Amino acid sequence: MAQPRILILIAMAGVGLAACGGGSTGTATVSKPDKVQIAAEGPFTGPQAVIGAGALQAIQLAVKDFNAAGGVNGTQVQLLIWDDQHTAQVAQNFQAVGISDPTVLGIVGPMNSGVVLGTAPGLQQASPPLPFVSESASNVAVTDSSWSVAHRVNARDDAQGPADAKFMIDKGAKKVFVMDAKSDYSIGLADQTEKYLKAHNITTQRESAQQNQKDFSTLVTKIKASGADWVYFADEGPEAVFLVNQMSQSNLKIGQNIQFLGTDGEEDSSIIGNTQGAYDGAYATNIAADPAGVSGSATQNYVKEFKAAYGPDSLSKAGPFYGSAYEAAQVLLQAIKNSPVNNGKISRADVLSHLGSDTFTTIFGSVKFNSKGDVQGGGIYVFQAQGSSMVVLKQVSG
Amino acid sequence: MDYFLNQLINGLELGSLYALVALGYTLIYGILELLNFAHGDVFMVGAFLAAGVAALFVHNEIAAIPGGLVVVLMLLVAIGGAGVLGVGIERVAYRPLRNANRLAPLITAIGVSLFLENAVFVWVSPASVLVPTHALVSQGVLRAGVVETPLTGLMLFGGSLGLMIALDLFVFRTRFGSAMRATAQDREAATFMGIDVDRVIMVTFFLASALAGFGGVLYGLRYASVDFFMGYGLGIKAFTAAVIGGIGNIRGAMVGGLLLGVLESLSGGFISTQFQDTFVFLALIVVLLVRPQGLFGQPVTDRA
Repeated sequence: MAQPRILILIAMAGVGLAACGGGSTGTATVSKPDKVQIAAEGPFTGPQAVIGAGALQAIQLAVKDFNAAGGVNGTQVQLLIWDDQHTAQVAQNFQAVGISDPTVLGIVGPMNSGVVLGTAPGLQQASPPLPFVSESASNVAVTDSSWSVAHRVNARDDAQGPADAKFMIDKGAKKVFVMDAKSDYSIGLADQTEKYLKAHNITTQRESAQQNQKDFSTLVTKIKASGADWVYFADEGPEAVFLVNQMSQSNLKIGQNIQFLGTDGEEDSSIIGNTQGAYDGAYATNIAADPAGVSGSATQNYVKEFKAAYGPDSLSKAGPFYGSAYEAAQVLLQAIKNSPVNNGKISRADVLSHLGSDTFTTIFGSVKFNSKGDVQGGGIYVFQAQGSSMVVLKQVSG
Repeated sequence: MDYFLNQLINGLELGSLYALVALGYTLIYGILELLNFAHGDVFMVGAFLAAGVAALFVHNEIAAIPGGLVVVLMLLVAIGGAGVLGVGIERVAYRPLRNANRLAPLITAIGVSLFLENAVFVWVSPASVLVPTHALVSQGVLRAGVVETPLTGLMLFGGSLGLMIALDLFVFRTRFGSAMRATAQDREAATFMGIDVDRVIMVTFFLASALAGFGGVLYGLRYASVDFFMGYGLGIKAFTAAVIGGIGNIRGAMVGGLLLGVLESLSGGFISTQFQDTFVFLALIVVLLVRPQGLFGQPVTDRA
């Protein structure tokens, strides 16, 4: 007889406590969510970790800073790390976990356009849809496919190609030797650039390098025979070192008898050292800004913080997106913070609508998305190899 | 015409590197009928050893060693290191399987290849490593009339050619060379004639791997950078060259390598770099269709 009575008492106490709990969230701490998670997604290991590893460090730093400033009304944001290895199938496995957990409110990433194009339909069809803010996916289809979940802080390929072409024309280019490296990204970009050059009556010659090519002697002989005054190489990989070394050996000197314009992967100061300075004077454009080259206290403080967290030489390994990754994380976290909390819960639908409507404060200034999910006034940045570093020359628009 | 000659020279230089590595495939196949898929990675390890020696002595300001001497040291370490590695691989991964199913050593070869790539990736460097070639050898350009070529490229060609001639003399003019050829023809009969087959196989692995190590040094001096994945692509090209020349045939590998290099640079130079590799592998298919045993190979009849 005694046991059932105790059970009933415990049960009643439980009900009472539950009622109290519900009551207190309703009145005392109105807007404190129970649990908030976001995910960082990109190629954090493998060959493409060159771009992913630094971006992950930046996102981790952004979450740490956000939590130190109080998180979402006192609740600390938890970061999930989804290492998709530049593969849509791997990404889908991670995303399935996020889709089924309503406290996962958004993704910083995916970084590669190919992964976005492969997985965005699934994120869109989730209920409620799972929004993402990419820091580096530049293919036009990412935001042109009318997925409301898609956002990015970097510029688009169709802005970069014309901007690159226009830059060379402004510098007096007469004949441009246009090269891609046989990847989706580089072929698409080289096409855009070549199209703009041709439309402006600049002679072009189109060639391809192979992924991981080492011997560029055939191409170097071809460049010499072509009489081109500019070499344009759309590439995200490590091939430029070999090309520039062999150009230099064959007496094609950048800045003297030939000009060189590279893209994202060539905005990399390590190329200067690896070519014994032959890269000095070369230009490269990037769809994201390098905070170290942008004046202003917000970016310079971030650079200091990054070095303090990851070591004095960490910037040389941070890749081209350690700035835009921090920016994208800031945007997503602020959208979450701006969303209403009901019964300890934040709805993904609210996060999505705030992403679309709000203006966000980032290290690069204020950010607002247009109806497609592209940043208004998103820029292309021109860098030049000077001394031992890549220096931002200016921001150009497409 | 001068454009053609320059592209031809580019092709011969690249082709001599293919030939050097192709010789390794062909030597080992000739003796054991084994495709040593780890051979490209032995080449890579040799290049890393040379890069290590260069880094040690070039940035060392206490004892200023002349560049030429450093190159000699690089050659000794890379040739010796790669040779010993090759012998070690044979002892660990192939010898226990010598009488097993022919697929078994093929699988261990792939395993050794993956192991070497990942070991260098994890323990040495995931990124490419700089070879300070400018401090070691002249970066000048040789101009002879209308043709011009960097001296490092010429060195690659000359060094490879010299070593190939030496190997040819060794195999066809020495006692040990005839022991190698006897082992290749019939291992059991060679044993009956008093040839120490294990020793022949060991020396063959040493020679094949030492050639790859030598190639690794020249590669580093020519391209100024080495990385853990460099043996993969080059290994496939060199293997293709060995097959075109007739796998197992030493002179075939030399000709196949040079031919492949020239084909690559001429198709890139005159047709399109966008389809460069397409032509290379198209050539392989054509050769296999017209002459399955390769240009210099003997038709193979299955052993009873």
